[in-house]
Formats: sequence, structure tokens, C-alpha cells
Amino acid sequence: MVPLENYLVLSAIIFSLGVYGVLTRRNAVLILMSVELMLNAVSLNFVAFASYLDPERITGAIFAVFVITVAAAEVGLALAIIIRLYRNRATANVDEAATLKW
Amino acid sequence: MATEVLWWIFAVLIVAATAGTVFSKSVIHSAIFLIGSLAGVGVMYVFLVVDFLALVQFLIYGGAVTVLILLALMVTRADPSGRPEDTDGPQKPFGVIFGAAMMAVLIGVSVSTNWPNDVSDKAHGIPIDTISEKLFIDFGPPFVIASALLLVALIGAIILARQEEGE
Repeated sequence: MVPLENYLVLSAIIFSLGVYGVLTRRNAVLILMSVELMLNAVSLNFVAFASYLDPERITGAIFAVFVITVAAAEVGLALAIIIRLYRNRATANVDEAATLKW
Repeated sequence: MATEVLWWIFAVLIVAATAGTVFSKSVIHSAIFLIGSLAGVGVMYVFLVVDFLALVQFLIYGGAVTVLILLALMVTRADPSGRPEDTDGPQKPFGVIFGAAMMAVLIGVSVSTNWPNDVSDKAHGIPIDTISEKLFIDFGPPFVIASALLLVALIGAIILARQEEGE
């Protein structure tokens, strides 16, 4: 069987690539996609720990359910904000949305 | 043995799809790669014998979230051919340094830690009735709060995205 470390390393790779995407991308939708990758890496870690180390109380798997719930709410709200931004500024580039008030 | 080979195949596929998501020049290709990466994590849940979460992952991430993201790309008229102003910012070197440092630290920690030997060789698996018991009895209040959060987020998203009078 696959040891626990493999899952941890896989999730570390996904998380780091997500960090890179958040820092590098400039389109707001692409940044949101990278945030999704990071959330997914965290859930994978939670579930791996629950399945290997804590099969009686399974707190990690329950936490993953809540992570998925919050991620769904976050995607809906973020896309509404991005559509709003596009309507006001005709762009989804976060570098151009730099003013706090106008 | 066959499980291990399959695991490695899917792990490589996930890493490739994730790299495609963050490195691809075209926004549409990024979204397609994202579907692959999210579905791959769902397959990992199958390897961990947590069938319920695998189903949830395929349905919510593979279906709903990616469709929402593709819709947003269409509404904001993202250029499918890939423009530099969508992708590579001037902050790219810092992104590379920070991402590589984070990967090195995380991998170093997870490999160098001594996990208990009797448990680290086998995924125990979590049956669906255990999850439902925990979710609806032990974690009942957080479950209700999460449903309220979803409702509030739904109403908020409608109010934000709605076309107002005289706009």
C-alpha cells in the first residue's frame, strides 16, 4: 500500500503550485482557480491524515466536508464580485483594479 | 502492487494537470486542466477509501465549480488565445522563489517526520455511515451554520451580480 508520506508530498506539490499561481496570475478568475487548487491540497491532507492516523474519530474527513462547503460559497461570491468589477471597469485584471474609491 | 502502480500514474497525472493550470498561457486551457486536477484529487479520495468525499469532489468541484469558472471566463470575455496581461505579471520571479521555498519546506517536513509505523502503511478507509453519524450528530451545530453560510452567500452573490436600475 501507499504510505502516508506520498499523499503529503503530493498535496505539498499541489499547494505550492497554487501559491505560485496566486502570486503570478493577473486575471482574477485565474487567481481564483489557483486558490481552489490550494483548498484542494488542504482537503487532501486532511483526508489522508483522517484515513491513516485517526480512523475512529475521522475529524479530518468531516473538516474536508466543511472546506468544500466554504469553497463553494467562496467561488459563488468571488465570481459575483469579478462580474461586478468587469461591469464597472471592463477588465478582470487585478492590477488595473487598484483604487479604493472613485 | 497494482494499486501502487495506479496510484503513481494518477499522482503524475494530477501534478501534470496542476502545473498546466498555473503555467498555461490560455485561460480556457487552464480551466480544462483545473477539471483534471480536481477530478484527480477525487481519485485520491477513492485510494484513501473515503467514497463519500470522492463523490462529493466529483459532483461539486468537477461539475459545479468548474462550470461556474468557465461561465465567469465567458462573461468577462477572457481571451482564449492568451494575452500576457492575463498571465505573467512582473511579480513572476517572486512567485517562483516563494512557491519553490514553500514546496521545499513542506516536502522536507512531511518526509523527515517519523510517522507511527503501525499506521503509516495502510489507509483504513472511512465508511459512509460513520461519516453521516459524525456529521449529523457530533457536528450538528457546525453543519447548520454551514448551511446558513451557503444561504447567505447565495443571496449575497445575487445582490452583487444583479443589474441595478439606471446602471
